[in-house]
Formats: sequence, structure tokens, C-alpha cells
Amino acid sequence: MGQGQRPHHEEATRLSTRIDKTFAALADPHRRHAVELLGERPRRAGELADALGLPAPAMSRHLRQLKQSGFVEETHPEFDARVRVYALKDGAMAELKRWLANTEAMWAAQLSSFKVHVEKKRKFDKKRK
Amino acid sequence: MTAAVIVSIRVDATPLQAFEAFTEQIDQWWRPNPLFALTPRGDGQLRFEPGEGGRLVATLANGKEFEVGRIIVWKPGERLALTWRQATFAPGQSTQLEVRFEAVGDQTRVTVEHRGWDKIPQDHVARHGFELMLFQRRQAEHWRGLLASFDGRLRRHGE
Repeated sequence: MGQGQRPHHEEATRLSTRIDKTFAALADPHRRHAVELLGERPRRAGELADALGLPAPAMSRHLRQLKQSGFVEETHPEFDARVRVYALKDGAMAELKRWLANTEAMWAAQLSSFKVHVEKKRKFDKKRK
Repeated sequence: MTAAVIVSIRVDATPLQAFEAFTEQIDQWWRPNPLFALTPRGDGQLRFEPGEGGRLVATLANGKEFEVGRIIVWKPGERLALTWRQATFAPGQSTQLEVRFEAVGDQTRVTVEHRGWDKIPQDHVARHGFELMLFQRRQAEHWRGLLASFDGRLRRHGE
């Protein structure tokens, strides 16, 4: 492996440092559903709990986790500071999108290389027969 | 719902030949990807320990071994499934990889599905076949479409 590849590896490490946290946050179907709903528009916690059929404490647990992993942010409407409104954070999905794009490009390249390998070997085997 | 990458290619070989080349000769066709290194020290040399419960292992230049994943399904000529993690992942966190080999005429379609979450069902392809594959593909596309639309919506909210 050449020395010139080092910066790439460091960049790769940086790119993928948070993706596992993203996966952990989205591994739960309720949290995933909440993210989908918040993707449409900001909502109150109660609204989300109703839509997901969850009791309020469970809903706030999920929202706390989503907040910690940087997916959602909490705001208060001007008319009432006691009401909490949750919204999807700007760029919340950037990490996941990058993972999807990179992973797709990676496998496309691997499979092309695999195809060349398999077919080269097969031609060689045929010739030997 | 799942976020999955699905990539397929057709190769001029039987499903069994393709499966064997994929697993036994991974060190000959695997190309380290600078943007997607398995470990901060690169990908090293990959090798499958065959069979369910076996592993995919990378041997690094310094002689150390890194376990990429554990094999969940090992069906030569049909299907291969394993867990897949990069060295930078938190302990216990991994992704799921599934590779299917399907005869198409006298060629083979090799499909790689890489999922960020959701466990790989042990025998779903055998049981449900192509229909389920289409269903999964639609699900993956649904989530990706959603991701694409998030950006636009967020921008509008930000105004």
C-alpha cells in the first residue's frame, strides 16, 4: 500500500465516524417513522405519539435519542414556551445519504472487478479443456 | 422500511462458479476503495472462512487481523449473508450484507444488498423468491426517495 493513500484513509475514517450512530438511531421502527413524519413538517410530541400509537413517555424517550444523535431539534412556538415542537435538523440525513452513495459506488466497482475476474478465469478454464 | 444499497451485475459463469469465485478468490478481485476503507490501515487481504458461523477476515499489512463480519447464510450457488462492519464503528454496531446468485440463461445475476439496519432473514429468498426481492427493492427505493425529498422540504422550512 503506497504512502500516498494515507490522506484518503483519514478522510474515509472521518466520513464514516458517525454513520454507525445514524444506523443505531434509525434501527428502531418507531424512530424511523417519527423521522419520516418530521420530514413532512415539524410536529408536537403529542402529535407524534398519537400518529405512532405510543404512550407519551416512550415517545419522549425516542425523541431524546433522536435529539442526541443530531436528527431532530426542539423549538418552542412564540405564543407558548411550554409547547415543544420537534423538527428535522438541517442536514440530518447527510451522513446517511453519503453512506448510500459511497456504498453504492463501492459495490458497483467491486462487482465490475469481480465480473472481470470470473470471466477471465472462465475463458482460461475453457481453453484448457 | 430500510435504507439499502442494491447493486447487481451479470457474469458469464454458473451460479456455483460465481459463488466460489466470490468467496474463495475474494483476495483476487477485491479492490480497496479509498473512500470506504474497512480499517484506517486499509483493507488488507480479505479471506472468507467458509460456512455459517464462519467469518470474513482482513489481514492487514502489519499482520493484524480484523473481522469484517460473521457469516449468517452460506448456500453455495445461491446465497451468502453476513454482518459487515468497519473498524471505525462503535462496538456492537454493524451493517448487513447479502449476496444472491441467480441463474439467468447460462449466466448468473449477482446481486449485492447492503443494509444499514434490519436483520437479514435466514431463508426469505427460498420461501418468497423474487416477489420479496421486489418488495425489498421498493422499500429501499421508498426510503431513498424520502431522503431525496427531505432536502427540499428542509430548505423550504428554513425560509
